[in-house]
Amino acid sequence: MNNNFETVIGLEVHAELNTKTKIFCSCENRFGAEVNTLCCPICMGLPGTLPVLNRQVVESAVRMGHALNCRINGVTKQDRKNYFYPDLPKAYQISQFDVPLCEGGYLDVLVGDEVRRIGVTRIHIEEDAGKLIHDDSFDGTLCDYNRCGVPLIEIVSEPDLRSADEAKAYLETITTILLYLGISDAKMQEGSVRCDVNVSVRPRGASEFGTRCEMKNVNSFGAVYRAIVYEAERQMEVLASGGTIQQETRRWDDAKGKSILMRSKEDAQDYRYFPDPDLLTFVVSEEKIAALKASLPELPTARTLRYVKDFGLQKVDAQLLSVNKARADFFDACAALGRCEAKIAANWLLGDIAKILNEQRIEITDTALTPEHLADMIVLINKGTISNTAAKTVLEEIMRRDVEPAQVVEEKGLAQISDASALSGIVDQVLADNPKAVADYKKGKVNVAGFLVGQCMKASRGQGNPATLRDMVIEAIQKL
Amino acid sequence: MRKLYEYSATELSSLLRGREVSAAEITEAALGRIEAVEGQVDAFLTVTADEARAAAERVDAKIAAGEELAPLAGIPVAVKDNICTRGVRTTCASRMLENFVPPYDATVTEKLEAQGAVLTGKTNMDEFAMGGSCENSYFKKTKNPWDTSRVPGGSSGGSAAAVASCEVPLALGSDTGGSVRCPASFCGIVGLKPTYGAVSRYGLVAFASSLDQIGPFGRTVDDVALLYGAICGHDPRDATSKNAALGEVRGEVKGLRLGVPKEYFGEGISPEVKAAVYAAVERLKGLGAEVVEISLPSTDYALAAYYIISSAEASSNLARYDGVKYGFSGNREGTLNDLYLSTRSQGFGAEVKRRIMLGTYVLSSGYYDAYYKRAKLLQGVIGQEFADAFEKCDAIVTPVNPTTAFKLGEKCDDPVQMYATDVCTVTVNIAGLPGVSLPCGSDAAGLPIGMQVIGPRFSETRLLSIAKCYETAVGGFAVKEM
Amino acid sequence: MEIDVRHIARLAKLDIPEEELPRMEQELSSIVSMVEKLPELASKESLLDPENTMELRPDVVQPSFPRDEMLKNAPDTAAGCLMVPKVVE
Repeated sequence: MNNNFETVIGLEVHAELNTKTKIFCSCENRFGAEVNTLCCPICMGLPGTLPVLNRQVVESAVRMGHALNCRINGVTKQDRKNYFYPDLPKAYQISQFDVPLCEGGYLDVLVGDEVRRIGVTRIHIEEDAGKLIHDDSFDGTLCDYNRCGVPLIEIVSEPDLRSADEAKAYLETITTILLYLGISDAKMQEGSVRCDVNVSVRPRGASEFGTRCEMKNVNSFGAVYRAIVYEAERQMEVLASGGTIQQETRRWDDAKGKSILMRSKEDAQDYRYFPDPDLLTFVVSEEKIAALKASLPELPTARTLRYVKDFGLQKVDAQLLSVNKARADFFDACAALGRCEAKIAANWLLGDIAKILNEQRIEITDTALTPEHLADMIVLINKGTISNTAAKTVLEEIMRRDVEPAQVVEEKGLAQISDASALSGIVDQVLADNPKAVADYKKGKVNVAGFLVGQCMKASRGQGNPATLRDMVIEAIQKL
Repeated sequence: MRKLYEYSATELSSLLRGREVSAAEITEAALGRIEAVEGQVDAFLTVTADEARAAAERVDAKIAAGEELAPLAGIPVAVKDNICTRGVRTTCASRMLENFVPPYDATVTEKLEAQGAVLTGKTNMDEFAMGGSCENSYFKKTKNPWDTSRVPGGSSGGSAAAVASCEVPLALGSDTGGSVRCPASFCGIVGLKPTYGAVSRYGLVAFASSLDQIGPFGRTVDDVALLYGAICGHDPRDATSKNAALGEVRGEVKGLRLGVPKEYFGEGISPEVKAAVYAAVERLKGLGAEVVEISLPSTDYALAAYYIISSAEASSNLARYDGVKYGFSGNREGTLNDLYLSTRSQGFGAEVKRRIMLGTYVLSSGYYDAYYKRAKLLQGVIGQEFADAFEKCDAIVTPVNPTTAFKLGEKCDDPVQMYATDVCTVTVNIAGLPGVSLPCGSDAAGLPIGMQVIGPRFSETRLLSIAKCYETAVGGFAVKEM
Repeated sequence: MEIDVRHIARLAKLDIPEEELPRMEQELSSIVSMVEKLPELASKESLLDPENTMELRPDVVQPSFPRDEMLKNAPDTAAGCLMVPKVVE
């Protein structure tokens, strides 16, 4: 990367909303159905049909607008964007042009240890197009219109991003917020979040922006990163060799790792936007706007910073916890009980619990685990009733079924044994079985005590109190 | 003795209720009349004889079972071929939709069916409702029943001619710039262009969405009221539709102030038309109306605003005809662009292409503000002028057309001259107002002259009342013997 | 008044034969010239009409249409889809 240049990036993020129905008709809004089975005369653009705007689409978009600190235009309209393409049955897309639902916001994004404020130009609502299927076994291109009319919000950022890392962090934060608000499935791999990337470069310190290129079809977090790195380098090379950047639209090919020219500025489309005469001006009342604002949950960046401040979590841990709303909600509930140290609960959530969830590919809400049970389990550890090793067994049980940790301890006989008389037999046996270790210890390798205590723990099936065992091991060796 | 097909819908409805006649007899009379005169009139693109007989049978079964009948039960109705009818070809008189069979009904056809009305067929029109003479049909030219060498007016010429020639008592048309009122006037019948939003547009193939409105034709005011009452009202499938209902049409003008705008009686209007409309105003005055002179100064600009707005919307509305999903499909052997170009160039007629070009131009980059936006702002000005005028009067009386029906082919070569025939009607669409067209005499050749009564939004009841008062005073409107 | 008829035709996906271009331009010009006499009504405002607004629709699913019914007017189909000449991405 050429250090004399600065990269300037703006993102246009399209997110499909997870409303029950499409934006302008009552067909079900669902991914993965058999081709052309979620269609009706309206979304297929048959003559004489008319769009009727879905209220939930407006409300979801306003919530996103609030989450991104936008001004909400309570009096707005829909416009037609006219162009011919086989995935667009009406040959126009119903979108918003000069009065987007939300405008002039920003998003605080955590990039490393720094909080970066990224401007959000606008958020508007529009309909998705269908899907073209390119299959060589047919002598044409196939059109599936199930996706026609699926509601989209388009979130346009200011050109405030300065690196591929920042762009990736911004996009990740956007998708996390979509999930927090519950308004989108936010699955890039299913195409429910898609991204166009605008990239320009300029000499470091310059105040004017360079000529930008737009890259389409950037469809994963990784692709966003790679596309920006590629495009910035391409532009820097052109400039460094004395060339000029042409304003153009390029297509990112992630498999090949490069962008290809789609159309130059001269071929820019003339979309002939005008207000859709089938849809009148619509109003979202001040009260409704306020109520939607009040319905917002705490958002991920704020949550991360609160975890650092209130619970002393490491920023990276706090962020890992916040990124998943269900786990963060669980953590907050657990911390609110006040029975155990929040930081310990966080460690369990990020450690053993996350491991089990990831292995089974499930969410915390899919398990039987409750904040109370997790707190109670930690209390049992703190009181010395169970060891950390035994706790792992307890955890597996309380995640599988709704049962008190104490009951698991009893059922499985996991209670920690601190009584020296009950443990002395085990200690004697371990020392007898490990003469070499004992000898090493005597020679001054005091570290082997840990190994011997481990053997004792194993022999006690995790029930022995490690501290007690340690004292007993050292005492016994010295007596030998 | 009067033939059954000459009866009004209101009369047929009462005969049916009195069991003096069956729905099957009414339907056979209409189908027989269509058979007899269709060769001269060419009003229909599709005659749905089988469906009509089946519908009549259902009504007769209801009568036999002693069930309650809706007002339109058993009444033959023709529907303009830009209104979708499930399972019945809907062509918009275009090659583009020659074989298009909608899998859904328009809201209005659904309402008609629910009432037990008998759909007898789909009527001819100017292609995609663009025209004022019915000559822009891809399939045939409809003739004026009063003189078959003349046009019936357009674009709903087929519906108007079908009613005027007694093929059916009732028909539906659509009116974007005068397409119900103009042919009603040329054919000597009554036609209503309802308030924008009063009748659902769902299933009406769009020409200019912000101006289009479905409206009824009949030979009597009561019949027009009957059909309007059956189709008006809010429809959740049309976001631009509003609550609208018809009150009692009393047939009174006493105490009403009628405005006469001087701008509608200018030099472009033929002396015979002017004289007939002025005479009608005098008669209404004699019946108790007060006449006030008013001014609507922006009228001159309305035509330009109308052609900008309607063409802009049309260019977008008609973009969907691309040879992919339905309708005519051109060259499929070449590229996608070849398919688009061939489909649209061969599927659309000259007038439609001209309007698409105009509309595309006025919306194109750099021209939007100068044309489209300016026209939309002017629309607001025109609307305000009407609102001001309705402070001074309760309804406005004007001519419908500058002349009586012209000869087939007479104006085909000059689009601007053809567009000028809409000069008295487009303001009503631009302002979203209701307007009724009713006969008010005839010219020296015996061709009907129409007058237009315009009211504030949702004043249909008042307009029909004025029309009925006039109709009663003149002893009803003449029907052409054929 | 100069109108780039060829450009407009390209946008509208209409094939206007070369020999018809002058006539089309003349016709468009004569219509557009009607507009030239319109009063200047400049406004920076968007075309919003708060006096005339629409209701929004509740988010309730209704059945979609059977696929064969949706495709029965189509000129060419394959594998439950509409088919168009190959589109190069």
